[in-house]
Amino acid sequence: MTVANPRIVTVRQNILKANDHTAAENRAAFAAAGVRTINLASSPGAGKTALLERTLRDLAGQVSMAVAVGDLATENDAARLRQHGAQAEQIVTGTICHLDAAMVQAVLPRFDLAGLEVLFLENVGNLVCPSSYDLGEAARAVLISTTEGEDKPLKYPTMFNTADVVVITKMDLADAVGFDRDLCRENIDRARPGVPVIELSSRSGAGLDAWFAFVRGERA
Amino acid sequence: MHEASIALSLIDVASEVLRENGAARASALTVRVGQWSSVVPEALTAAFPTCAQGTPLEGARLSVVTVPGVGECPVHGRVTLDVTRGLRCPECGAPTPTLLAGDELELDEIELAEPDLEDV
Repeated sequence: MTVANPRIVTVRQNILKANDHTAAENRAAFAAAGVRTINLASSPGAGKTALLERTLRDLAGQVSMAVAVGDLATENDAARLRQHGAQAEQIVTGTICHLDAAMVQAVLPRFDLAGLEVLFLENVGNLVCPSSYDLGEAARAVLISTTEGEDKPLKYPTMFNTADVVVITKMDLADAVGFDRDLCRENIDRARPGVPVIELSSRSGAGLDAWFAFVRGERA
Repeated sequence: MHEASIALSLIDVASEVLRENGAARASALTVRVGQWSSVVPEALTAAFPTCAQGTPLEGARLSVVTVPGVGECPVHGRVTLDVTRGLRCPECGAPTPTLLAGDELELDEIELAEPDLEDV
């Protein structure tokens, strides 16, 4: 007869260490190819794809760019992005609410990384789960639109706390929806003191120069 | 809601520890979850038993220890942060940009259940 004889083992290991390991591999691959990768995260509908469409269109011929875009279902976003002449690959995540490093690694062979200057990783629209997963990106941009409320940074502090830049989108609608710019910026600064903030409108083009400088790695 | 994904990663890490220790099963495990980790302890605890089915962790008791956020205030030194107030000193409101603790997501301890050799 066997009797359980419990023994406590101290582990102290990061639960996401497998993801972090794969992210490190991705980061090394990006560095070797000389490609700058930007992870875009926001709630659904904040304007990630619209901003990327505008970026692909306006910087065409100046910056060599491509996009890997994650969604639970459909190829809609990749199809939208391809209309602007850049390679766009859809990562269909099924029921998974975020991109992880392995999903990105799996799609990388479809790109000629050495021929790219910038690779965008458009995350699943979600302000919670993507914050836990390092993809190996050089920079993380978190978007918040003027239509979704100034307190998002306080409600989702972890996502904003991991941002290298916060982009306020749909500034052309700010007046129409009574957007409180100062309050929003104050809340962003609470979640991530000192983080650079870019205000822009993908529709009107206002503020895009600052975003393009960030895309090129010239600021933030 | 990505706690099922987190639970699956936890089971992978824990299974590896069991292999390294030559243990077939675990009876309990403790994880440390920071308040700023964006993982909800209750959701993780709810997801774990289902995710553990058919693995060496099946039936293991999961305990979650919540770790509060700690920042460094230029005036008040190390302070415990209030997650609803952002990265600000709770005493004076000064920015505390660096999180010294509170973003943990780690497997802390495993209680191995193994046959007692004397009784085999």
